[in-house]
Amino acid sequence: MALFIYGTATNTGKGFFTAEDRRAFFLRGFPADVWVVGNNEKGAMWLAEKNGVEKTKAEAQALVTAEVTAAQTAWDALSDEAKAMTDRPTDITLP
Amino acid sequence: MTEYSGIRGTRVKYLSSDPTLNTSTEGQVWYNSTTGTLKSLVEIKAWSSGGSMNTARFALGGAGTQTAGLGFGGYIISTGDKNSTEEYSSFSWSNGGNLGTARRSLSGCGTQTAGLAFGGFSALTATEEYGGTSWTGGGALSTGRRNLGGAGTQTAGLAFGGQTTTFVANTEEYDGSSWTAGGALNTARSGIAGAGTQTEALGFGGYTPTNTAATEEYNGSSWTSVNSMNTARKYLAGAGTQADALAFGGITTANTNVTEEYGGTNWASSPASLSTARRRLGGAGTRAAGVGFGGETTTQVAVTEEYNSNFNTGTRATWSAGGVLNTARYALAGAGTQTAGLAFGGYSGTAMVATAEEYNGSSWTNGGAMGTGRYRLAGNGTQTSALATRGFAPSPVNQTNITEEYNGSSWTGGGNNAVSGSSSCSTGTQTAGLNWGGSPNLTSSQEYNGSSWTAGNTLNTGRSGSGGAGTQTAGLAFGSTTDTETYNGTSWTSVNSLSNSAAAGNGALQTAAIAIAPSGATETWDGTNWTSAGVSVAVPTDSFFVVGTTSLALKFGDNPPSTNSTEEWVASTLAGPTASTLTTS
Repeated sequence: MALFIYGTATNTGKGFFTAEDRRAFFLRGFPADVWVVGNNEKGAMWLAEKNGVEKTKAEAQALVTAEVTAAQTAWDALSDEAKAMTDRPTDITLP
Repeated sequence: MTEYSGIRGTRVKYLSSDPTLNTSTEGQVWYNSTTGTLKSLVEIKAWSSGGSMNTARFALGGAGTQTAGLGFGGYIISTGDKNSTEEYSSFSWSNGGNLGTARRSLSGCGTQTAGLAFGGFSALTATEEYGGTSWTGGGALSTGRRNLGGAGTQTAGLAFGGQTTTFVANTEEYDGSSWTAGGALNTARSGIAGAGTQTEALGFGGYTPTNTAATEEYNGSSWTSVNSMNTARKYLAGAGTQADALAFGGITTANTNVTEEYGGTNWASSPASLSTARRRLGGAGTRAAGVGFGGETTTQVAVTEEYNSNFNTGTRATWSAGGVLNTARYALAGAGTQTAGLAFGGYSGTAMVATAEEYNGSSWTNGGAMGTGRYRLAGNGTQTSALATRGFAPSPVNQTNITEEYNGSSWTGGGNNAVSGSSSCSTGTQTAGLNWGGSPNLTSSQEYNGSSWTAGNTLNTGRSGSGGAGTQTAGLAFGSTTDTETYNGTSWTSVNSLSNSAAAGNGALQTAAIAIAPSGATETWDGTNWTSAGVSVAVPTDSFFVVGTTSLALKFGDNPPSTNSTEEWVASTLAGPTASTLTTS
């Protein structure tokens, strides 16, 4: 059985994930509104309740990579002076 | 009607108040005549999912604790023996230094920062010592072997049992440099698990070649057979001490998820079982707080599970979602509290941000814009009386020393800081502020009196992007390195260190600070020590800002690509043993 569920959901703010949610299942947020959730009943229920769209790990990784790549491209277009004072966004690998 | 005395053999105690609650009270039932309630004390036991290992593997070694674990070596079906090491902290594994000798079926002991690896397939003698970042060679075992048991520490280790071309009974003791012979196990076996110390060890399970439940205690010179486990098995994992041990997983005729606890005399089956039955897994921690990782189902797995067994009631601390920022940004600053927070400055990914936002405990609303939008600035104070200083300013991009004061609606210029540049940290108030460090790991500190900055004494450790808390006369600097320092208004003094070197945070109290590492791992400061909270933020970042204390904290902002996430710290409500009221319906 897979350890995680992958999906996208928009962070609506307060109450989007609660302390009870955090205690009940694994939860990590990533760029492109990608969320990685523990693969148990409560985790799956949370993603469904948030109107989330379940993705395969590969699909979720592609979304994150596209977001990071776009940010890297924007950084690459900065002046050398600006580059010296900001960090180039780093690649992210989903768990 | 069935009576309790007929079932239990004893009568329910009639007490005017609850008895002293501790482990000896577990399972007792009594009637509290004052409250008119029937009560009992029940220990709660459960396995829960942890973060998966970066590399799925089995037949690996394990050491450390549930909050600071170490997994090393092992085997992958397609590629063979592994030399990689992973460190576990707060749901996350990070890569450590590689073993000098890739191997499987080894054993280990010690801690995350002082680990010991020894033996391995097919009959390795190699021993290696882990210092927290890398492995160095140690003294070789006299009897090379695989599937052996281990216990103890890096400087007082114990190796026992295992397999060469036959089953092994002998024991060897490590003193930090060499192995010497100890007493032999009564039952020679392979696939054994271990717990405890060099002079008080426990060996259990394995196969001879028949699966065994046999358990033996070591006293520093000889092994004594004691009561067996309930489930005979091999390739299980163990944790804990000789008198308080945990056995889990392994294989009987099939992979098992059975967990048992040893209390010094007998093994008791835990009502909690591993979610993923598996063999050849790694184990670490204690009976009450164990961790199992990796292992083999029909293939190698990366699964990590945490075991908790305690009488405590309440809930553990965690981070929950707060209202989202109106402007996504990172490298920002802030001030205030969880219910009256202030965010200002930062970088959106394409431009510097001048806007301030005010938090009311559930949502952010825009406040006044700073005169100089900037990022990697420092901030302190309250929502209605904040101070911003230094950072990177635009047009052209430069390291600024500009200071601005916020009154709850607008920003006005203050006295320029004596030091320019980014990634410094501030604490205190708008009229008694303290600022220190900055890129590149500056040691200088400055004090603000509401109109001008004057030099303070230098830090013991240069810092860039550190965290801070407290006041101008009772300050706290931490992060950027593991070093922590306190300020008394005159000088900085080094105190106990963080576990996570890059941790940062901010807070109002010198004695109740909160720190978050880029991995998301959270630590709390009580004025003397940092303690792992055992939890992580949901959106790990390294360019966030934190305000508040260990009771109520707020984390906001995100590293690139920037998002608008906010998280609220929900403090632990865990309390000591509390009796449960029994009901009859």
